[in-house]
Amino acid sequence: MTASIIVILVVMVAAYTAAKASKLSVEISILASALAGGIAGAFVKTPPLGELPRHLVEGAFPYLDVILVFSTATIFMAVVNASGGVDYVVRGTIKAFGGVRPLALFVLMIIVLIPGALTGAGSVSLLVVGAPVAMALRHLGVPERRAAAILFIVAGLAAAAPPVNIWAMILCAGTAIPYVGFTYTLGIPVLVLGTFTIYALGWKKVGHVDRETALKNLPEVPPGMIWWRVLLPFLVFFGMVAAYRIWPFGTPIFGLPLQFSAAAVAALLVSPKRIAFLKLSAETMKKLLPLLATMIVVGMLQQIMTATGVRGLVSFAVISTPLVLLYILLAVIIPVSEGVLTYGAAAILGIPLIWFFDSIGLHATVAIAGLSILWPLGDGLPPTALIGRLSVMVSDYKGTYGSFLRQTWLPWIVITVAGILMVVYSAKLSFLVRWSM
Amino acid sequence: MKNPKAVKIVLAVAVAALAVAGGLPLHKHRRYRMPVVAGPGVTKVVKLGDFAPRLKGSKADTDVFVLEGREPGGKALFIANTHANEPAGLLACLILIENAVVEKGTLYVIPVFNASASRNTKPGDGYPLYFDIPTDWGAKRFRMGNRDASPLEQWPDPDVFIHYPDRQLLSYIDIRNTNRTWPGRANGPLMERVTFAAMELLRNHNVDAAIDFHGAETMFPVTNCIVAPEKSSKIATLASMTVKAMEGFDSHVEPSPKNFRGLSHREIGDFAETMPFLLEAPIPFLDQPTGPKTVKLLLDGKDPFLLSLAKKKKLFVPYDEDGWPMEKRVGQHLSTALEILRQFSKRNAERSIVISGAPRYADLVRDGVGKYFHDPAKADPKSIYYE
Repeated sequence: MTASIIVILVVMVAAYTAAKASKLSVEISILASALAGGIAGAFVKTPPLGELPRHLVEGAFPYLDVILVFSTATIFMAVVNASGGVDYVVRGTIKAFGGVRPLALFVLMIIVLIPGALTGAGSVSLLVVGAPVAMALRHLGVPERRAAAILFIVAGLAAAAPPVNIWAMILCAGTAIPYVGFTYTLGIPVLVLGTFTIYALGWKKVGHVDRETALKNLPEVPPGMIWWRVLLPFLVFFGMVAAYRIWPFGTPIFGLPLQFSAAAVAALLVSPKRIAFLKLSAETMKKLLPLLATMIVVGMLQQIMTATGVRGLVSFAVISTPLVLLYILLAVIIPVSEGVLTYGAAAILGIPLIWFFDSIGLHATVAIAGLSILWPLGDGLPPTALIGRLSVMVSDYKGTYGSFLRQTWLPWIVITVAGILMVVYSAKLSFLVRWSM
Repeated sequence: MKNPKAVKIVLAVAVAALAVAGGLPLHKHRRYRMPVVAGPGVTKVVKLGDFAPRLKGSKADTDVFVLEGREPGGKALFIANTHANEPAGLLACLILIENAVVEKGTLYVIPVFNASASRNTKPGDGYPLYFDIPTDWGAKRFRMGNRDASPLEQWPDPDVFIHYPDRQLLSYIDIRNTNRTWPGRANGPLMERVTFAAMELLRNHNVDAAIDFHGAETMFPVTNCIVAPEKSSKIATLASMTVKAMEGFDSHVEPSPKNFRGLSHREIGDFAETMPFLLEAPIPFLDQPTGPKTVKLLLDGKDPFLLSLAKKKKLFVPYDEDGWPMEKRVGQHLSTALEILRQFSKRNAERSIVISGAPRYADLVRDGVGKYFHDPAKADPKSIYYE
């Protein structure tokens, strides 16, 4: 059985490589890999050929909710942008904090952390505040490439930050460990690493940009745009999120897609200028299409990997690795698995890893926290690169994706070392869990 | 591209054909009903919704088989398919429904507790849609479900699930997991209504013991065990020791954690007089490092990767070339559950529950699971229920 699974894995990798070599897109290449894996698997009836269509269709659905969140959040921010809200916010930020640059950088970092921390999705941070923060960074003398890198790393940390960390929640759900004790265990590393990132990448100022020059260079705000017109749609969104947190048993569950849609409607209603909503939505969805297609084909790939046993083989290889080597390999395994499987990686590799770590006396909660600051790094890696691509998109960086990714090397290494040390020394760091209880 | 319009049309037709070819089996799976032959011990079949009006008639409502004894006594509730991808409990409960007779007391059996999850699949995980158990009269087909209720019945999910009433934060997906939504609310989300209805049954009918049947990965520390809170731990320990001594299999006792909310073994004990127990039998199929997720793996539990990991002492159960077959798991569930009731009855004579006609571990290992299912084609149509 093992030999046939290895052959299927080789076929899948070969199909992906061949598709990429033929200049096909990432999405088509992943689909080709899934199809090739399924057909190769059919030779040994795992899965039987007749079941292949069902696996492909079923596999298209694991990320349907994420697709809806991406779509509605992006349309919401497109409306805010079209109404002049983004320009207004950037101008306001530069006016208020532009005189004290380190403070301005720190405030921008916190602004990116909040939406992701509340929803567990770095994408929400980027989609809601990414564009205005990127623009503010540029006007603070941070070039586009470094602004995109800052957004990517800080949005990833936002997703890992408490109170909602989806990787940790998936691991807790799968390992029957309560999702408690993460407030300081995740909060302290996220704040320290976020602060390091914003200063490491943003400290150096390019060109002489003072507040007045920056304000002069900013786009004009449409007449009639004032603070409450910008604030109201965000209040609608965060109000709905907060209402469920404050009154969980008296508030209907709207779900993030409806919450973003309501915020988009509010933004549309209070916009000082008329917005062609249908045209704007269509254009936004067209821009998002490659990202959404990636989510669909990654689900298919996961399904085929499981049905053929390839997923189990990968998981087996990780679990079988000797301990010291495993610690070192976490630096590669965790981000790469996220790049291929997104949240699926937490279940496939994370759950057996945590059981294993727990059985050798490590502290499971701290180890989960350590792993969950490593996973967001993988959201910048192909084939999915969800957060990386969004970071590039919202910061309007025109260079190659590789050049953007290279810019993240310093915080990437520091976060990797921090995450691995948290796992290795989890027992000694268990006081963080006690503080959090 | 010479003719992009033609290419688009061809692609659209291909995608539509794939959607139909792939969607139809999923559509059929959702509508497939498993015939269950109510045995001589079943005195009535009611709906769980009868205990909570807000559940009644919904897609999550489900059958409660009642087996009443000739003599009054204590009462017990057996629950299976809380997680519909852990089918040993379902098979154990169906065997009881088709064969057991209650001599004293009352036994309530809910074989498909999360009915919505049993009609759901797990996108991305490539499970088989069905599994067949061989019997003397042919193969009996069962629907393979998912751990969580279908979003078709309960949607949208919140960004985080806040447990009622403790406000503990849980993964958003656990709002559709009926082993996280206990004790539930009368007017909460659908899965909270399911657990609330069960709580009402337990409270209003003075049920003495509740047993929730599960399966757990061989790499999961809490497997092959009875999970019990403080109030049930004595009975659990006695049952564990007895099955080990008399029937030769392990099922150790694990304490129910006090600070992990929403689980049946915690909330039933805290919100009713009932003693809760949760039984975990190993299910290699659910482990992550396995070969393909096939019906064979589900039924025989044999996997080369797990065997290799067992040799490296990375599993929490004994594991060899024989795997962990379904008959062993179903047998463990039946024997442990029956032993819990026997130990309870020994210490509470006036509330005792006496069951006959139910096979135990050795019977299942010797005869297989299929022997205990009756042919619906030959049964009285009035005794057939579709789950």
